[in-house]
Amino acid sequence: MPAASAIKVMVVDDQTSMRAMIRRTLQDLGFRDVRDKPSATEALPAVQQDRVHLIISDYNMPEMDGLEFLKAVRSDPVIGKTVFIMLTGSSEKSVVQKAAELGVNNYVVKPFAPAALKEKIERVFGELS
Amino acid sequence: MRRVAIIQGEHAVVTEPGVAITTLLGSCIAVCLHDAQAHIGGMNHFLLGEPRPGQTIRAEDMHRYGLHAMELLINAMMQKGAARHRLKAQVFGGGNIQSAFGKIGTDNADFALRFLKTENIPVGQTNVGGTQARKVEFMAWDGVANCTLVSQAPPIRRMPPPRPAPVSEVELF
Repeated sequence: MPAASAIKVMVVDDQTSMRAMIRRTLQDLGFRDVRDKPSATEALPAVQQDRVHLIISDYNMPEMDGLEFLKAVRSDPVIGKTVFIMLTGSSEKSVVQKAAELGVNNYVVKPFAPAALKEKIERVFGELS
Repeated sequence: MRRVAIIQGEHAVVTEPGVAITTLLGSCIAVCLHDAQAHIGGMNHFLLGEPRPGQTIRAEDMHRYGLHAMELLINAMMQKGAARHRLKAQVFGGGNIQSAFGKIGTDNADFALRFLKTENIPVGQTNVGGTQARKVEFMAWDGVANCTLVSQAPPIRRMPPPRPAPVSEVELF
């Protein structure tokens, strides 16, 4: 049973308000090391320089979208196996399928309840303590 | 002139001249966003939550719905070519029409203005609060919005409060 407090998380979303909400949700679930970036172009070098265990990334972002970010992470020999959970809109089923092909670990449809995010994380890491 | 009418839970984005996005607001909020350089305008119409008598909705749940409504509009505008840093906003609605709903209109308006401040989207015209309904007509290509008070509240469309989307619509995991 992994301790949430031991899991380092990077949250990537272009909306400040959304990042803040996800951070609060994760902290309520017991996560202590939660970083965030407003774009994948900033998040990628950040996680390459200081590795995390879990990336939670929005799909719909300017410059580099969530799929491109996922692809870049998976093709990196050092951080390629980092757990990656994608946040998508309800109308983006094709995105989910594409993300699955690229090796996403799970996805969450916005707007999501804290319990839904916890469930998706636990499906990857096992039940959190 | 062509009119695109939206109701609670909807949004519309327009990229051509001569088109007005319209809506009728009670406690709900309509946020109009405009990119003057790209001539792209959009409007949403949302309610954070409408507690029934004796029911309470947690503030964090309400904010989640509002965040989602704003994200849908912003993403739709960016997909049409708008640039986030050029967006300017106008905010309407948030009337406390039905006393049974308490100050839900005020909460809606506060949320919208707080969201825009957090996201660094400048706010121009605002017409919020009070106890009257409003009709909004947004000439999206030009970015010009007209808001008029109406003496009677719009008919209440009994829509269920927004719920988080199903955990999984595409069974992959």
